[in-house]
Formats: sequence, structure tokens, C-alpha cells
Amino acid sequence: MRLPTGLLGLSFTLLVFAAPVARAQPLPAKIDFNRDVRPILSNNCFQCHGPDDKVRKARLRLDVREGATAAAIVPGKPDASELITRLTATPDDKSVMPPVKTGKKITAREVEILKQWIKEGATYTTHWAYVAPKRSELPKTKYQIANPIDAFIFARLEAEKLAPMPEADRYALARRAALDLTGLPPTQEEVETFVADKTTQAYEKFVDKMLAKTAFGEHWARMWLDLARYADSAGYADDPQRTIWKYRDYVIQSFNANKPFDVFTLEQLAGDLLPNPTTEQLIATAFHRNTMTNSEGGTNDEEFRNVAVVDRVNTTFTVWMGTSMACAQCHTHKYDPITQVEYFRSLAFFNNSADADRPDESPTLPFWTDELLKKKTDLEKQIADLETALKGKKPEEMKTERDKLAVLKKDLAAVKPLTTVPIMKELTGAARRKTKLQFRGNFMDLGEEVTEGTPAAFPALKVVAGPQPGGLNRLHLAKWLVSEENPLTARVVANRFWEQIFGTGLVRTSEEFGAQGEQASHPELLDWLATELIAKKWDTKEFLKLLAMSSAYRQSAKVTPELFEKDPDNRLLARGPRVRLSAEMIRDQSLFAAGLLSTKTLGPSVRPQQPNLGVSAAFGGSIDWQTSTGEDKYRRGVYTQWRRSNPYPSMSTFDAPNRDACVVRRGRTNTPLQALVSMNDPVYIEAAQSLARRTIENGGKTTAAKAAFAFRACLVRAPSDAEVTVLAKLFDDAKAKFSKDATKATQFATNPLGPLPKGVDVSEAAAWTVVVNVIMNLDEMLMKR
Amino acid sequence: MHPRLELLQAVTRRNFLENSSLGLGGLALSSLLGEAHADTPRTENPLAPKKPHFAAKAKRVIYLHMSGAPPHLDIFDYKPELQKQDGKNCPDEHLKGKRFAFTSGVPKLLGTRQPFKQHGKAGTWMSDAIKPLHEVADDVTVIRSMKTDEFNHAPAELLLYTGFARQGRPSLGAWTCYGLGNESENLPGFVVLISNGVQPSGGQGCWGSGFLPSVFQGVQCRSKGEPVLYLSDPPGLDRDMRRLGLDAMKGLNELQEKELGHPETRTRISQYELAFRMQLSAAEVMDISKEPAKVLESYGAKPGAGSFANNCLLARRLIEQGVRYVQLFDWGWDFHGTNPNEDIRDGLTKKGTTTTQSVAALIKDLKNRDLLKDTLIVWGGEFGRTPFREGRTAGGQVLGRDHFPDCFSLMLAGGGIKAGHTHGESDDLGFKPAKDMVHVHDLQATLMHCLGFDHTKLTFRFQGRDYRLTDVHGKVVKEILA
Repeated sequence: MRLPTGLLGLSFTLLVFAAPVARAQPLPAKIDFNRDVRPILSNNCFQCHGPDDKVRKARLRLDVREGATAAAIVPGKPDASELITRLTATPDDKSVMPPVKTGKKITAREVEILKQWIKEGATYTTHWAYVAPKRSELPKTKYQIANPIDAFIFARLEAEKLAPMPEADRYALARRAALDLTGLPPTQEEVETFVADKTTQAYEKFVDKMLAKTAFGEHWARMWLDLARYADSAGYADDPQRTIWKYRDYVIQSFNANKPFDVFTLEQLAGDLLPNPTTEQLIATAFHRNTMTNSEGGTNDEEFRNVAVVDRVNTTFTVWMGTSMACAQCHTHKYDPITQVEYFRSLAFFNNSADADRPDESPTLPFWTDELLKKKTDLEKQIADLETALKGKKPEEMKTERDKLAVLKKDLAAVKPLTTVPIMKELTGAARRKTKLQFRGNFMDLGEEVTEGTPAAFPALKVVAGPQPGGLNRLHLAKWLVSEENPLTARVVANRFWEQIFGTGLVRTSEEFGAQGEQASHPELLDWLATELIAKKWDTKEFLKLLAMSSAYRQSAKVTPELFEKDPDNRLLARGPRVRLSAEMIRDQSLFAAGLLSTKTLGPSVRPQQPNLGVSAAFGGSIDWQTSTGEDKYRRGVYTQWRRSNPYPSMSTFDAPNRDACVVRRGRTNTPLQALVSMNDPVYIEAAQSLARRTIENGGKTTAAKAAFAFRACLVRAPSDAEVTVLAKLFDDAKAKFSKDATKATQFATNPLGPLPKGVDVSEAAAWTVVVNVIMNLDEMLMKR
Repeated sequence: MHPRLELLQAVTRRNFLENSSLGLGGLALSSLLGEAHADTPRTENPLAPKKPHFAAKAKRVIYLHMSGAPPHLDIFDYKPELQKQDGKNCPDEHLKGKRFAFTSGVPKLLGTRQPFKQHGKAGTWMSDAIKPLHEVADDVTVIRSMKTDEFNHAPAELLLYTGFARQGRPSLGAWTCYGLGNESENLPGFVVLISNGVQPSGGQGCWGSGFLPSVFQGVQCRSKGEPVLYLSDPPGLDRDMRRLGLDAMKGLNELQEKELGHPETRTRISQYELAFRMQLSAAEVMDISKEPAKVLESYGAKPGAGSFANNCLLARRLIEQGVRYVQLFDWGWDFHGTNPNEDIRDGLTKKGTTTTQSVAALIKDLKNRDLLKDTLIVWGGEFGRTPFREGRTAGGQVLGRDHFPDCFSLMLAGGGIKAGHTHGESDDLGFKPAKDMVHVHDLQATLMHCLGFDHTKLTFRFQGRDYRLTDVHGKVVKEILA
């Protein structure tokens, strides 16, 4: 039970019940500028008294000490400080700050903090995330630790007078770790091996096994594809299909090959600029070709090329540095020290790729088979020869040859590569564009010319290899992002992995590490992890293993009412993580339990069953599609064709984004529409029918044994007696009803999976389908726990 | 649990927290718990009805969007001077520095071919293309000085509905539900109905929840086929059997809740119960076959059709059930003149007459049911159309106009809006608002005002910034408020 008002900032309904009895929280013993003061100033003052000099009011600047002490603050003397006078003025006083019309209001406690801070000398410190991470000593804790993560987590628990939970049982642990690392439940055999393994390395062996599976890359690619805004369509009004799945495969393969994150970075941002780039490195550059292309009639290609470039800047800084640059596109950032000129200097890095909002997505990289390639070069040669022969001849001469040439050209046009992938290609020489500042972000309202450069608030970009023609390029930028001096990238990346494993980032606002972002719940741990990531040379699997091996992760998810009251979001980790599965996981898990999930990897995107909507996109084709055949109907969710104007409906109901733009954090809502999907979507019914048939065939003799079989296939653990009782009763009731209505029974047992195997009783199959449908909809099934 | 009791418990917990948390290490626990966020599931219902900032005239919205942008100069904005200058070259001052979607060079001015008259006591100018609306002239406000920043469909629609011309921000309906919750326990708070089988250019972004929790996003319902995706029980599974299954599910979930102690499990149970109820209610509300023949006839609705008329009738049925926001999109208003349906003469008369019959019927129907007073109705497109002939089709027989963002018209009615009123004026040739310009951000601010919100204060924090529907703009148009 959370306050609905928290969500809304509206407290009318509540005040009726809640007389404001809340006593003020005590002030911290020592004021910490970043923790205590900056958020207050940033939320209430910086918009008019911050870095942006264009809108700065009264020439007062509060984001730097010189500015503040020049007019508003007298260090040591809160009562003599105009800041305090203004903040504490009555609302009818015209001089009150923040002004009434802003709707912002400072609390009494916040004023006390500011007073205390001024009293202590009003010292400013650099925003924590802009200072290089410091590796601190491991805190002491009385609890047993498995690795350094636990030292930080458990010491904090002690300070909060809490204790960790004991380790989860092996079945729970196996399901949790398998889901987190591979996106799928473990196989029965994997679980039993783990449970039976009495050695001390049993769990580690299990984790290693999960990390080594192909499913690992398919699962972790999903997160990255959200960041990369990967989709199989170009977006905007007509949203035509786009062929770019080679990039999706690149991401999956990179995770499976455990490509170090810094290499992964260089390849995607600047693979084309690496010396003698490989095909793989060129495919990687499609990362930034996932921007949308506008083919709507009457649109200006330069305008939308510019939109794509802006998106590349914003995405790059969000993905690697947790910095929302977007604000600085139109004006100097109001909260963070990034000027508009710096924004366009960052944009200059991306402004010289050859793509230009073209419907054909050029430049693209074609993929040929030897046979096709031979056919192509043969034709090209014949055409070249004929053209040479025809050179200088009059149009009326050599008619036969001319006709032949036309045919050859037609043939050549028909020779298409197997597939293509849009790539980045740097313009050279005269084709290079000049980058100019755009006033208010308008691409037609241009200002001074700018050159490539990074914002001054961050460590300087050092040119390692000497200036190239045209100065700095994307490769320099990419190297700078993953350089050891960069204070943000390692923190941002470590935090994102943490978020995937533990449910919430140490910095909850995983997309925002600037002044408006939240502070870390465990700052020393975040810094330790960031330095560890660099020390381990950006080894992704090693890093994920570190998280999964911690005792903090392995705790039981059990919670007491007191603990839930105190920490409903589990930020302190006094229990194991428990969060809703992602859209892809929910679907894949049901197909897996059903025995339907295809293990086929990579390749063109597939079209699983979806309802016909009978609508088309504006100016575009029908949104409905022809369902894929054979095992392509049952591929993992990561291979589902992603159409931006109409994302696969059952997955978008579970918060899968349409990927118009970079998504750092997906929602994890719980809605009735989701219940309709997992209860009624033919995909889930088919899965239930399939597992029902397996249950009848392999589940044992008794109803109880069969119920336990179906339950374990879905949830890994064995059901309790009480659970078996409920399931068995459901089966008996359902079977009794279906026995009286063969038509219904047949429909429910066979549509859409198809006729039952010989000898299977139809009412029994229908009844088990009901049971499986119930299991597949249990809270436990939808949650990682 | 009784909602009031639940609330009290929540309050008690909050007090406990405020008194007990320690500021150790990093972020104090109290700030860790500070606010609810989009990514965290909650145990309370985020769609529970809520009170706005101040007493509101409107409780719900029906937004009728004419996708493609109606030719306002042939509907609401009568320009005698433009008729006089019909066929003349468009003056350079109106072309300099401007971009048009399909027109370059010097186009010819195009006066309307539709007869115009003043209607109602208020004397509101309307053309014969929208004859059915003449009867409700004294129930509506027409704004003739609208302005937007975008001249392509998709960005203009997104700007109109989300305050921003690119995808990714919450839509008007999502903001409305975020602010007000939903009055219906069995239906979504925000329903989208699309006629003629074509999505608007802005796509699902026009009813998306952006960075708001996805419970606030619009749910597309269909008047043909299954009204909500996956609403029907699978073939062979009847209601009794579903109930049996749900009871077992509840029992098993409760065992889990006892075992692990997570109160969210209870929310899961209640969402499944809600889905069960929604299956009945949604099917019922979407079935118009039991409406009296007279009503069907007045709207021009036919059970089973996917028409705009059906959707207008459904809009009324949905808001009667407490749905907060109903969004209609009707395709076929992009009057370029590329075919006879896009001709501002007969093509428009046909489109205008059929569709406004349903709009007029809706207004009258709501009025009869005493629902018009607190239901806000908006009718309009994403921009206007040029006072000159569209470039590509200028040589043909069909008369069409290009996209035009600088000045257009829009109609409002109901909750909080003046009845029988015209606001703003365009200049003589219709190129610019001459008086009382209303930017789409101002329209948004005004709609939020009618619903009881200060548009600058209904915000949501995302990526470190407090976002709102009107971005950093918007001024309430007080002159059109009742």
C-alpha cells in the first residue's frame, strides 16, 4: 500500500485522513553538499539561477560558490544571507523564492538544511558523479560475506538495524539465476544436477553453466536493444520495414562471446573508423543507424537527418554517461554544466556520416553468397564489355547489342544480396558537413560554426593517435567514453547491470546521473563496482558473475510485514530480489515450459501469431502480418519483428517499448490487460495445451503426480501438498464439466494446437489445459523471486 | 480491504518512516522511499479516482480528431476577401521563408466553394459542408485563430497530443488519467476508437503513456470484432470454467503470499478479478445492438460497422460508464485534391455531412442526458489547410489545399466551455491569426484547466526533469471558458 499521492504530488484526498502529524526528520550530523544541499538548489533554484546565462534571473547564479556568495549567501551567517530571507518570506511577499507561480515550495526542513550548510561555511563540492570513482576499504560487517558486494550491503543493513535473509532454497535460486542470466528457467536436468551437487562450488558451477549458454546472449541483448532503439521498421507515419537484423545478431553474439564492454563500445560507435574494419565491426555501427527515417511525403530530408543526428548525441550520452544532453540542444542546460555550444560540439562528432534520411537507408552493407556474388560480377563484366564496345557508336547502330545490354542491366538489378544492414560511413573531403550551432534547436536557424569536442565539465578528451584530417572523430569520442578518466561510464554501466540483476539500480534513476538524478543508495559500493569493472577490463560475464555470486543476491525473497513497511522497494537488500519478468521473459517462459520454444538462434526477425487488427498505418501498409510457419512461430521474443507503429501487442502490454528512442528502464506495471493476455492470447493457450499433453504423457499415474509435473515444468520447484490439492480439485471439477460437453472440451484442448494424439481423452486434455493456464498465470510465474 | 482503511494504513506507515529513517551511508532511506515511480509496481490502484487541483467544470473528455486536417477555410473560417482574390497569385509576403509540404513556387489563392452563413443566436459562421452542426451552433465555441509549429501530420499530431513533436512523451489522455484516475472499475480509463481502419500518422504515440506508468496509456477498442485485444475467453472455455480457474488461482496466490509475505501478490489477484469483470463490461458497453433504433439512426450508427458514427455512439456509452477520456480518430481529412474524395467541394460536403451528423447527434444526446455540462468535447485536426491551391494538384480538376500550420480552426463544446461563441480571427486572406492567437500549447493548458488542473503543476519527473503536457509553454484561454 503506497500513497497514491506520492505518484501524483496531489495530496488533497489524503489530507482528509492524515492530519500532518509527521515530525520533521532530524538534520544530518554533518551537511554533505552533494547529498543534502545540491538536490534542494537544483530542484528549486537552478532553473533560473543555474548554468544557463540566457535565462538567468537577477544575474544571480547559485550553482557555483562565487555566484552564490557574491549576493545571496554570507558563509557562516545564515541570518544575514539573502537566500534564507527570500526562502522564508511569506507567500504574499513579492520577494519570496521560489516565486509562487512556479508552483515550487521549499519545506521547513530544507530551509534548516540550507541554514546549517551556510553556518558550516557554505562549501560547494563537484557533483559526485563528475568525480572519478574512489575505491574505498571494505566496510566491516558481522555477517558472513561471499564477496565484497556483501560487505557494503550488510554493513548498511547493520546500520539500519536490519539483518540479511538466509539463502534461498536451491530450486528458487536455480530459477532466479537462470532467469536473470539466460532469460529462461533452467532445464529439469540442470536443476537436479545443481540440487544434488553437495560440493561447495555447486552454485558457482551452476552460474558458470548459465553464463555459457547461448540463451545468455539472447537475454542480455534485449536490454541493449532497448538502449540501441533497435526495431525492424523505420518509424514515423508510414513506418516501412527496415532490414537491420544483422545488428541484433551482432549484439547477441557479442554478449555470448563475452566481448569486453570497451571493445563493444568502440565497434558500435566507430567500427567504421577502426583500421581495416572487419564485417563484424561494420555491422556494429548499425547501432546508430537504428534512428528513425521519415519517408512521409512532404518532409524535408535534411530536417529529419538532423533529428537522427540529435538522437545519436542524446542516445550516446544517455547510454554511456547517464547524462541527458537533450536539454542543451535548445538552450544551455539548466541543471548540469553543459552549454549549448558544447552540445553542438558533441553533435559535430556525428554530423559527418553519409546517411541522410533516405528511404533506401543507404549506405548499407550487402551480404552475398558466393554464388550470387559470382552471378553479379559476371553480369557486371558483360555490361562493362558491351558498354566499351558501344562507346562512340551512334544510337541507331548495333541494335542487337543495345537490346542485350538492356536485358543484362535488368538481370543485374534483379540480383539482390541475401540481406543488408545499414551502416555508418564517414564523409570525406568536400562532402563533409560543417556543424553550426542551431538556435533553439532549429536546424534552419544557424549560429557559429563549431568543431568536435566534449563538454568541459568532464575530463578532457586526449588525442591518442594525433589529429586526423578534420580533427577529432567518433573513434576518439568512443575511446574517451571508455577511458579510465571518464568518471561516468563505468558507474553507469555497472549500475545498469546491477539494475538488471537486483531489480533497481544503486542509482535508481539509471538514465540520469546529473544533478537532477538521484544519489546512489550505496555510493561506496557503486564506486567499488565501477573500479572493479575497469580492473576486470570490462569483462561482462565476470562482472555479472560477481553480482550473482554475492550472498546479497542469493538471499531468500521472503519478507516480513515490518521489513516491507520499512523498505518496500528493497533498496537496502535485506531480502532477495523479487521483480516482475520482462515481456520477452514472460512469453519465452511459457513456451519453454510448454516444450514449444524453438532453440534456433539468429537470422531474420519472425512473426509469431498476433491478432488481426484490420488497421493500417497512415500512408503505410497493413499492420497485420502473415504468421511465420514452423518453429519460427515459437522463437524467443528477441527475434520477434519489432514494428514501431505497432509493437507486438502482447509484449507491449507487458511494458515492451516501441523503441522510437533509447529506453534505459522499462516499466514493470501490473494491469488487468496483462491478465487478459496471459489468460486468453492464443499463444498462451497453445502453450497450455502443449504442456497439458506432456503432462498426460509424462506426468505420472495419479492426478496429484500430474499436477506436480505441470507445476514443476512451469515453476521449477515442487508444489506443496496444499498447492497440489488446489490443482487436483481444479482438474477434477474441470474434467467433470468438460465430460458433459465434448464440443467445448475439443475446442479448448485443440484450438489452436491441433488434434490430440491418439488415445488421449479429450476432457482430460481440456481439464489439464485449464490447470496449466492457471499455473502459467500465477503471480509466482510472472515474477522473478 | 476497505480503501479507506488501506489509506489509513499507508499513512501510518509514512509517519513511521518519517520518524525512524536514518541518513547513513548514501541516500537516506526516506529518500529511497520518496515517491512512487514508473518502474515500480505498486499495491494501490494508480487509476483510483483523484481530485484535481481545483473544482473542475469538466470531468471527462471526448476528443474527436479528424486525421489529415480538415480544410477549415471551407468549414468555419469564412474569408470573403479570399473569394474575391480567388485564382490570383499568392502574395510573396505569405511565402517568404515558409516551407510547405507539397507546394513550391507561387501558388494561386483559393476561395471557398462552400456556401457560408451565420447560425444560431450567436451567429456562428459555418459552411454547408457541416450542415448537421448548424443545429448545435449555440452549444459550441469555434476558435478561428489556432496555430501549431508543425506542418507534417505525424509531428503535428504528436505536438497536439503530447506537447512535443517527437515520440516519447505522455499523451493528453494519459495525463488526464494520471491526474484524475478513472471512474470506471471495470473499463480502462482511456479508450481509443479508430474509424475507417487507418491509424493516425502519429501512431500509438498519440495515445501513449510516454514515461508515465503504462497503466495510463490509451487502450484501443474496436467496434468491429473483439472490442479489446484478448478480451474473449478462448474457444471452449466458458465463464463458469474461467471462474473455477480464477478461484484456484486466487487460492494458490494466497498460499504464496502467506509463504513469502509480498503484499503485491494481492494486487495481482485484484487485477485478475478486474480483468474478469472487464471481460463482461467491455463486451457489454461495446455492443450497441440494443440501442433504440431512433438513437442509432440519429448517429447514423449500424451495429457491427467500424464507422465514425458507431464510435461517436460508443464514446457516449463509454463515458456513461465512467471512462475518463475517449479519443476518436477519423481518417480521410487530408484534402490535397489528389482524388475527388479530397475535393473541397463535393468531397468535403460528403465527408463533412456524414461525420458531423454523428457529432451533432453526440452533442444533443449528451445534452439530453445532462452529460454535456461536464463532458469536454473537442473537434478538429492537427493543423489547417492553405488559403491557396496545393502545388502538385494545381493543374487538375480537383480543388485541394496543402498543409498549413499558421492558422486554423477548431471546435469545442461542453464542460466549462462557452456555448455559442466564436474566439479569435484570422487575417483577411486567412494566413495568420489576426486576433487572439491560440497555440496548441494554449489549447492544452485550457483543456487541463477545464479538468481542474494548473497545467504548470501537473508534472512528472523523468530523467531529472519535471515534465508537463505543455512543455514550457501554454496559457489558458480564459475568453472561451463558460
